[in-house]
Amino acid sequence: MKTKFASFRLSAKCLLKALQRRLMREARYAGTKHWWIWIIAALLPLAFTSQAQALSGEEVMKKSQAAFLYPGKDFKARVVMKLINKDGQERVREMTMLRKNMGEAGGDQKYFLYFFQPSDVKDMTFMINKYPARDDDRWMFIPAINMVKRIAAQDKRSSFVGSDFTYEDVSGRDIEDDTHAVEREEKVGDRDCYVVKSTPKGADSDFGHKFTWVDKANFLPLREEQYDRKSARYKQFSADEIADVKGIPTAVKRTMKNLQTGHRTEVAYLKTDYGLGIEDSLFSERFLRQPPRKWVD
Amino acid sequence: MFQFSLVEFSLRHPKQVIWATVALVLLFLTQFPRIATDTNPKHMLPENSDVRVWNDEVDRAFALYEDTIVVGVKNDAGVLNRETLARIARITGAILALPGVASRDVNGFTTITNVTAEAGTLKVGPLMPGAPQSQAEVEALRGALFGNPLLVDRVISKDGKTTAIHVPLEKGANGAVIAGNIREIVAKEKGPERYYVAGDPVARDTFGAEMFKLMGIFSPVAGMIMFIAIQLMFRNLSLSFTMMGVAMAAIIISMGSLIGAGYPVHIMSSMAPVFLMAIATDSIHIFNEFYFRYREKRNKLDAIRETMAAVSRPVRYTALATTAGFAVLLFMNIVPVQVFGGLIAFGTVVLRLFSFSLIPAILTFVKEEKIARAVEKESAELNRTSRFLRKLGEIGATRPQATALAGLILVAVAIAGTTKIHVNNNLVAWFKESSEIRIADTAMNQALGGTSLGYLVMQANEPDFVKRPETMRWLEGLQRHLETLPVVGKTFSVADYVKRINRVLHDDDQKFDTIPETQDTVGQYLFLFSMSAKPADLDNVVDPTFQKANLWVQMKSWDAEAMRQVTHAADSYQKTHPLAATVKPAGIAWFNLVWNDEVLGDLVLGLGLALVVVFVILALDFRSARWALVAYVPLLFTILLIYGVVGFVGKDFDMPLSVMSTLSLGMAVDFSIHFISRFRQRLAETGGGTSEAAVREALLWTAARPGKGILRNALLFAAAFSVMLAAPLTPYMAVGAFIVSMMLLSALLTILYLPALVMIGRNWLFDDPKPTANPAPAIVKGD
Repeated sequence: MKTKFASFRLSAKCLLKALQRRLMREARYAGTKHWWIWIIAALLPLAFTSQAQALSGEEVMKKSQAAFLYPGKDFKARVVMKLINKDGQERVREMTMLRKNMGEAGGDQKYFLYFFQPSDVKDMTFMINKYPARDDDRWMFIPAINMVKRIAAQDKRSSFVGSDFTYEDVSGRDIEDDTHAVEREEKVGDRDCYVVKSTPKGADSDFGHKFTWVDKANFLPLREEQYDRKSARYKQFSADEIADVKGIPTAVKRTMKNLQTGHRTEVAYLKTDYGLGIEDSLFSERFLRQPPRKWVD
Repeated sequence: MFQFSLVEFSLRHPKQVIWATVALVLLFLTQFPRIATDTNPKHMLPENSDVRVWNDEVDRAFALYEDTIVVGVKNDAGVLNRETLARIARITGAILALPGVASRDVNGFTTITNVTAEAGTLKVGPLMPGAPQSQAEVEALRGALFGNPLLVDRVISKDGKTTAIHVPLEKGANGAVIAGNIREIVAKEKGPERYYVAGDPVARDTFGAEMFKLMGIFSPVAGMIMFIAIQLMFRNLSLSFTMMGVAMAAIIISMGSLIGAGYPVHIMSSMAPVFLMAIATDSIHIFNEFYFRYREKRNKLDAIRETMAAVSRPVRYTALATTAGFAVLLFMNIVPVQVFGGLIAFGTVVLRLFSFSLIPAILTFVKEEKIARAVEKESAELNRTSRFLRKLGEIGATRPQATALAGLILVAVAIAGTTKIHVNNNLVAWFKESSEIRIADTAMNQALGGTSLGYLVMQANEPDFVKRPETMRWLEGLQRHLETLPVVGKTFSVADYVKRINRVLHDDDQKFDTIPETQDTVGQYLFLFSMSAKPADLDNVVDPTFQKANLWVQMKSWDAEAMRQVTHAADSYQKTHPLAATVKPAGIAWFNLVWNDEVLGDLVLGLGLALVVVFVILALDFRSARWALVAYVPLLFTILLIYGVVGFVGKDFDMPLSVMSTLSLGMAVDFSIHFISRFRQRLAETGGGTSEAAVREALLWTAARPGKGILRNALLFAAAFSVMLAAPLTPYMAVGAFIVSMMLLSALLTILYLPALVMIGRNWLFDDPKPTANPAPAIVKGD
């Protein structure tokens, strides 16, 4: 794949050079009569640079999604979320998060959440079947009344367990929903990044556009800035700590801050692991009611 | 003495005095472009006042917005049809895109969180994400709306004809601009719907605009009326211009220093120009006397000097009394009232300085023949008016007992009226009934839960206290208890969410429209709710630690009394249902109640202070407590009579009226001071005899000559303030009516009643040992 790209880029460059050389020669013969050929010859490289140079915005975002949300066949972490309001008051959500990819990166996924905190929601479980192109299926187990309830997922932009993250921030937004363009390249800390501008194609999202700083080396999003539909700064994401887990670079500390309300959510991934061999059967109503200890602890 | 040297200086260097004044006025005029208004009722009390600190704390704890605009949409055929709903969706969409709108927390059909169960699936999300495309969808929406008590009376009226979009504003957003944008948005929709744009920011903005109107149009009109009145009285243009010039100069200097000092113009200070203009009319006594003196002397400079000598003492003391009356306001608790008091006190001092400098200076330029001509005309008319005044004085002087008795009876009736006085500040009622704001407020109150919002904050000491079922049930019980009050339109709290989720999880079974049995269940329900709802939904009703709950109370009246009923009901509920938690009221309705009580406290304090201060000034002026007491009577009677009328009419006794009553003491006393000072001067001039005949003759002279100045002063004052009767805001009208009646009454009482009192108390009054035989300074003759 990589070599194919490289050879294409190489051939395109050669073709361009040849075309330019040819035009120059024509122009020399034509003298000043065909002055416009000079201009075309001079402008030609400009027209092709952006395409010829590097990855497209969409490619960057695809790679980023794969690196950030799909690494490994499956994944487990103890997630501690701190919901912190403007005055510094904290609420804690603590849960075990299990994820299993059902196919290629960008495809279906299943999530299983088991809550420890707040204490009155202990034993609550939450299951999400994520489909990129349509609404998720979500189920919740409410232990106090011993009930599994299906929960409508009409809005992927709604808050994830009351945090500043949306469901999409946690499980990914469909690449096809936005147009993506690499705006520039920039360093975040000492990491070289692509800065990708994503603009929703439809009008159903809460943000108007966003910029993502994607690490050129491992394609993890290091920073994201969302703007609302009035182009005011809205939310800001940062990957605060990247750790190497079984050879996979993983953002184990992340923060999402709502710049308009001053509310922020800090997330720490503890005991992160990949490739555990989570069975498909885990994602069922039976285990939702009684999750196996080995998976939730 | 200072004044005399000032007068002399002004007579010798009139040009310098005038140019210096012009320069000073221009200097203060440069401050005018910096004018800012403040119409936020919150600013009535200082920022560090308990109620404001507490309200800010509550706003922070529950993520509440300071300002919310409410857009009402009414369709007499019902709003639940596809066309109207499409319009509502379009309008809401356009509002969400407005800068300054806190879009995330806008609550209307398309954005408000609804909790439902459909085909076994729990659904927490926007009620109507898009306009319905079919009749079936409309019916589904109708079912959702009326099936969820959280929505009824909030976004839909019970009759289905009215809906509301609640539009919270970001901190520092310009409410006036946003309200304007919203009006533009709704104006684009062509249909049978009617739209109402209401809410605090709209009211404030309208108030601000009216305030500017009052200052920009009513003050000049008041000035014009005064000018015409002066012209009719003195028939000399230069004199009329002098008087207006002095008033304008004082207004510009006072307002300029107010603006320059960085104070915003508030409801009270917006009335300052009219007040200063009216107070400036006190210099009418100078002109009045000047005319008399000039006719006697026919020498302008001498006439000026003698005039200034004769009137200097009463003018000084009336200025002092007026200044004191306003300065008393500095001790009040209400910020704009303090500022207003300081402003007018300052302006009065400026006016009086002009009386002794600018007025004599300008008088030197007035051509003698013109004065002579005017004086001739004046003289004929004078006789008529003076004869009338003399007759009026005669009634009092010849039938003192009967006059006094008639007055006493009137006052007794008035006192009965004062007991009916009802202190109430209803900010919405400050607008006329025909105003857009009142119409919107009335319409919204009829259709929905009520526009006046108060909170009851329940606080406990333990985390998760709110999640306890007994707390939930307690909150629910309190709500039901409050809802028995007719003024309460709707209440809601976290208990409503819990009940709603309980019911929805159990297939919308009405049996489960209750608080569940265990704390864990409550906790899990709320957690479930918070997973899908907007963060603000829960933040608005509980704090993050679940120690505090916020109960929203919507009232259908802005009367302070409505919130008082709510707090009383909450107190009585707490007594019968003890809980290990406290309940504290908050919100704008609570603020209004606190402020209202401050107004009442201020009224009592201010009146007390003003009475003492004015008495002291009178006693100082007359060097006699007895004379001070006599001079006090017309003043007291005037105020009591007006209070009596206010009580009988049933008009709310609000902040502007309360302020008026305090400072009117300082203004109404002027006439007594002039009358008694000049009467005693006259008595001294004519030989000092205190026989009945001599006293009566002096009284009648006073009624006829300085009495004319008093009458002119009162008429001018009344003329200036009568303009305010046409003002678009009721406080201005009330103030106008108050001042007009106060001036006319106190002038009448002074001329009619004082002679009666002096005749009755003659022996007692003249028996009073005086430090000097003659309290007034001797008339300075020549230089």
